[in-house]
Amino acid sequence: MGFRTGTTGISTTMRTSSLLTTVVVLETTGPVGKGVEEEIMDMIDREADGSDSLEGFVLCHSIAGGTGSGMGSYLLETLNDRYSKKLVQTYSVFPNQMETSDVVVQPYNSLLTLKRLTLNADCVVVLDNTALTRIAVERLHLTNPTFAQTNSLVSTVMSASTTTLRYPGYMNNDLVGLLASLIPTPRCHFLMTGYTPLTVERQANVIRKTTVLDVMRRLLQPKNVMVSSYARNKEASQAKYISILNIIQGEVDPTQVHESLQRIRERKLVNFIEWGPASIQVALSKKSPYVQTAHRVSGLMLASHTSIRHLFSKCLSQYDKLRKKQAFLDNYRKFPMFDNDLSEFDEARDIIESLVDEYKACESPDYIKWGMEDPEQLVTGEGNASGVVDPRMAF
Amino acid sequence: MVRSWVLEGELEDTFGEFFVVGQPVKVDLLWREGYKLHPGMLPSFISPSLAQRILRTGKSINFLRVCCDDHGWADAASEAAAASGTTTRRGGLGYGETDALEHLVAEAAKRIDKHLLDVLYKRYKFKEHCLAIKRYLLLGQGDFVQYLMDIVGPKLSEPANNISSFELAGFLEAAIRASNAQYDDRDMLDRLKVKMMPHGSGDRGWDVFSLEYEARAPLDTVFTESVLSKYLRVFNFLWKLKRVEHALIGIWKTMKPNCITSNSFVKLQASVKLQLLSALRRCQVLWNEMNHFVTNFQYYIMFEVLEVSWCNFSKEMEAAKDLDDLLVAHEKYLNFIVGKSLLGEQSQTIRKSLFVLFELILRFRSHADRLYEGIYELQIRTKEPGRERNKTQESSSWISEGRKAITQRAGEFLQSMSQDMDSIAKEYTTSLDAFLSLLPLQQSVDLKFLFFRLDFTEFYSRLHSKGKES
Repeated sequence: MGFRTGTTGISTTMRTSSLLTTVVVLETTGPVGKGVEEEIMDMIDREADGSDSLEGFVLCHSIAGGTGSGMGSYLLETLNDRYSKKLVQTYSVFPNQMETSDVVVQPYNSLLTLKRLTLNADCVVVLDNTALTRIAVERLHLTNPTFAQTNSLVSTVMSASTTTLRYPGYMNNDLVGLLASLIPTPRCHFLMTGYTPLTVERQANVIRKTTVLDVMRRLLQPKNVMVSSYARNKEASQAKYISILNIIQGEVDPTQVHESLQRIRERKLVNFIEWGPASIQVALSKKSPYVQTAHRVSGLMLASHTSIRHLFSKCLSQYDKLRKKQAFLDNYRKFPMFDNDLSEFDEARDIIESLVDEYKACESPDYIKWGMEDPEQLVTGEGNASGVVDPRMAF
Repeated sequence: MVRSWVLEGELEDTFGEFFVVGQPVKVDLLWREGYKLHPGMLPSFISPSLAQRILRTGKSINFLRVCCDDHGWADAASEAAAASGTTTRRGGLGYGETDALEHLVAEAAKRIDKHLLDVLYKRYKFKEHCLAIKRYLLLGQGDFVQYLMDIVGPKLSEPANNISSFELAGFLEAAIRASNAQYDDRDMLDRLKVKMMPHGSGDRGWDVFSLEYEARAPLDTVFTESVLSKYLRVFNFLWKLKRVEHALIGIWKTMKPNCITSNSFVKLQASVKLQLLSALRRCQVLWNEMNHFVTNFQYYIMFEVLEVSWCNFSKEMEAAKDLDDLLVAHEKYLNFIVGKSLLGEQSQTIRKSLFVLFELILRFRSHADRLYEGIYELQIRTKEPGRERNKTQESSSWISEGRKAITQRAGEFLQSMSQDMDSIAKEYTTSLDAFLSLLPLQQSVDLKFLFFRLDFTEFYSRLHSKGKES
């Protein structure tokens, strides 16, 4: 079919436990992984050459384990370098923060990968294992969700987010068009997703009455969102949506869309940024004719929300804890990237911190002026706890 | 006479006594102008509505015979005759048997009308053609439109005189082959043609390019020339909107997150860095505002105009009892679209202010392109000296000289770009203000929906009230 995105499935998602534990990030930059790299880039080049109108790449990986973070980072850099005009979108799985990982260096790996996601990806769809597990337990009533079950949540989201590409309509029929409106500020390109109604394969669900309004309202509820919020109450109330796109599938009367939007605004269900106009975008899409679902209407939300910064802050604080103890650093020192010093870590930390700050700045109406003041008086808005923003890193 | 007219469509009226008058016309006008009622000849026992019915039934038969090349109507007619209890033998109806006449006409009309619509729907695929028009002329087939825009765009920026429609037809074919349109019915794709509108000397390709859909008999009765010209206007409007969207997407691509220009400049002097930062931020924020406008306008067009009108039209199409109903429904559908897309007579002022906004956005695009080009160049220059310094220590003084010059030039460049950007932003704000203030004055309710969408977060209302206070 005329699917315009050359998708090359490289690695699989959801690897929270990995066989390659300590040497991960380095494996790909060091001499060890050389052969594999060439082989993989060869595969990608072949796919790209064979595509009629290649628009971009979609990469699925996890950021904490071994392959996903190491190989993933390498691929991101290479793709960005070699196909600089093409889009790179990733579906990145963030580790479960509730349980201790058997990958002891997870915080290090996450930090190093996050740097690449910030610099080398155009759009990162954040899939948070903590939230996925929570959804499986609380919403789907599975006591011990298996990877297969959480994976099916992810695949549902992935397939829903490409429906407008696969069944082209008047709008949103290519990847750039889809992402551009979602990401007005290039740096803040981390999206979170929500899906309703949630089901797992082979699980019989009660059919509920679903209207467009129901779907749109449920998508705004945190319990259906696949990123957990680590914000404290006060911070959470300040968090704002930068953009929202709801993709609604099924038989929908287009006149319902306007009504639903009106209701949502009346009840003030969404908090949007104040430094520019914003609105909930709605795309209606067909359902796959091959998949039978019990639900008449289902919806996916893709949104850029400032509360995602708390997830990054969490990664930072975990890294700081480990770094303070100077734990497990020896394994990294063995590799050329860290030959002289550990400045790679420091740089990555700075970049993530500036990312957190930019998200925070987006919550203020003065975002336009953010980072423009003299470095001496950079404290923006209400109580900037994280301190001074380095202008060098501000964009 | 009525009998032979409603059952066979024959008009044997040598003495000009019958109240239906035929006149020779071209085939595509047969339905609309081929036959008329002659009020003076209408006998008093036949009511006007009955007369209309009689007229339409005979007309339908003729239409089927001439335009649709169909003979199935004869069966329908004999069925009707049987149902009304008379035979097709002549003279069965006596004088004054108005009830019997009415009965006969009713039976014949019901069957013939149904048969005619069946022929149009099934054999001539009326609905499919409407959908094809919606897909291509109303840009519903997004991937096709996108691809066409991609390949035809550069060509259309040239003066209209340089463009051959032959070449454009090639692009059209390529776009069909590259998109899902290729799976469409070949018959429908063949009807899709490039049309160059008459152009003056200063016109660019954008001003004259257009697509048209060829209507063949019998569907040209519905898609008359005036109908097609309305479609053409809608197409031109939507195409213009798409072009603006395309331009905005183009800007996003140059400033997309993983571009080298999005990353930090370590070697720049602090003041230039701030300038750069501010220019970029301004560009992004303005982009966001424009994009918000264009996407929401498109959502309005899609949900409030195209989909809703199509929904209504499909319902009416199913409910239509005869060709006249169908014509009315289609007319309504098209007028709805024309009216709601601000193409009507009453919306001239607002349309003008909309086009001003479009122009500004296109201008913004070339500015943004220049800004990013400049930044890219700057980046390369600031990088190179850095690398050289590592190699040759002694030349560092020369390089720092060069760096100074670069810094100064960068500063000037950024300043002029910022000024340009500011002036565009200012103009944009005024024009948008003008547009928004015109919206509530429009008669249709749906345009209030548009306002609602544009001002979803009450960003503009707040801005407005702030402006009033100060």
